[in-house]
Amino acid sequence: MIKKLLKLLGTFFYIGLFTLGGGYAMIPLMKQELVEKHRYFSSEDFYEMFAISQVTPGPIAVNMATFIGYREAGILGAVFSTVGVMLPSLIIITLISLFFTNITKNIFVHRFFIGILTGVVAEIAFVTIDVWKKSTVDFFYYTVFALSLIEIFILKINPIYVILIGGALGIIFKTKEFLKNAPH
Amino acid sequence: MHLINVFLEFFKIGAVTFGGGPAMLPILKRELVTNLHWVTMKQFLYFISVSQVTPGPISVNMATFVGYEVGGVFGAITATTGVAMPSFVIISVIAVSLKKISSSAVYRAFIAGIKPVIVALLIGAIYLIAKGGFHTAIPFVMAIIAFFVFTKFKINAFLFLIAMGTIGIFLIR
Repeated sequence: MIKKLLKLLGTFFYIGLFTLGGGYAMIPLMKQELVEKHRYFSSEDFYEMFAISQVTPGPIAVNMATFIGYREAGILGAVFSTVGVMLPSLIIITLISLFFTNITKNIFVHRFFIGILTGVVAEIAFVTIDVWKKSTVDFFYYTVFALSLIEIFILKINPIYVILIGGALGIIFKTKEFLKNAPH
Repeated sequence: MHLINVFLEFFKIGAVTFGGGPAMLPILKRELVTNLHWVTMKQFLYFISVSQVTPGPISVNMATFVGYEVGGVFGAITATTGVAMPSFVIISVIAVSLKKISSSAVYRAFIAGIKPVIVALLIGAIYLIAKGGFHTAIPFVMAIIAFFVFTKFKINAFLFLIAMGTIGIFLIR
């Protein structure tokens, strides 16, 4: 049991350490480690889990870790895997905070980070268009999208409520449709 | 700063984070910078750029940064635990009940309502970074060119950001 838990911890520590850029950038490495190397998942299960991760809150890597850990070794397994995947971030970011507190006071470092932000904006713009393209954009979608923009930029409502309002509108106007077209 | 507040704040953020890292930036900014004043906008932007070029999920990186800022090493641990806890609970339930929840009509309708909000939040994330971090025309122009280059050539996201940072050293004033 201990051996199994430590293996889960090690595997997910490795995944947490070598996945730069977060989210979708982690998928190929996770697939290689979890499906091909350790065989925790069949390829089909992996994509099913990926689909579930997209409709549940939280980082995909954390969701994957919790799910596999739970299936392999119950609640303890879930704890070890989840801690494993978060530990590299925790250690690295804490070290950066400890040793580089005043680093941005240097003008060149500051410019470097603003330069990174221009790239971040470009990447987010890319993701935004990608998400829009992959969605079924119907009247409901347009309406909630427009309403959300008004809530965020004009009414300046806390984004947490904007999410909850969207979810509530979904339940009110979309449940009937999903009941009609039940999956499977 | 009471650690319990740090935990509850990040638990709340973790519970509403659908659609990955960037979509949560407007939420983090509103809660941590505007409402609670736990970090300044300048720190917040610095955390975003470092989070994108260090390993691990963006949200965990952001939680560690802010947690450390308000409560040292214990603050960092508390914040990361808090941000991951909602996923942990929900996925554990799904692992037991074999995804019954996520395939129910009501839940799928809930998610259908959240999807367009995610797109609006992503636009909000672009706006907050540009407004807070770009003070001359140069970074705007860099971002626009970067967008076309990134879309056309599908470069590795990490190397792309390091390249933009390096260009920034020379160009940004």
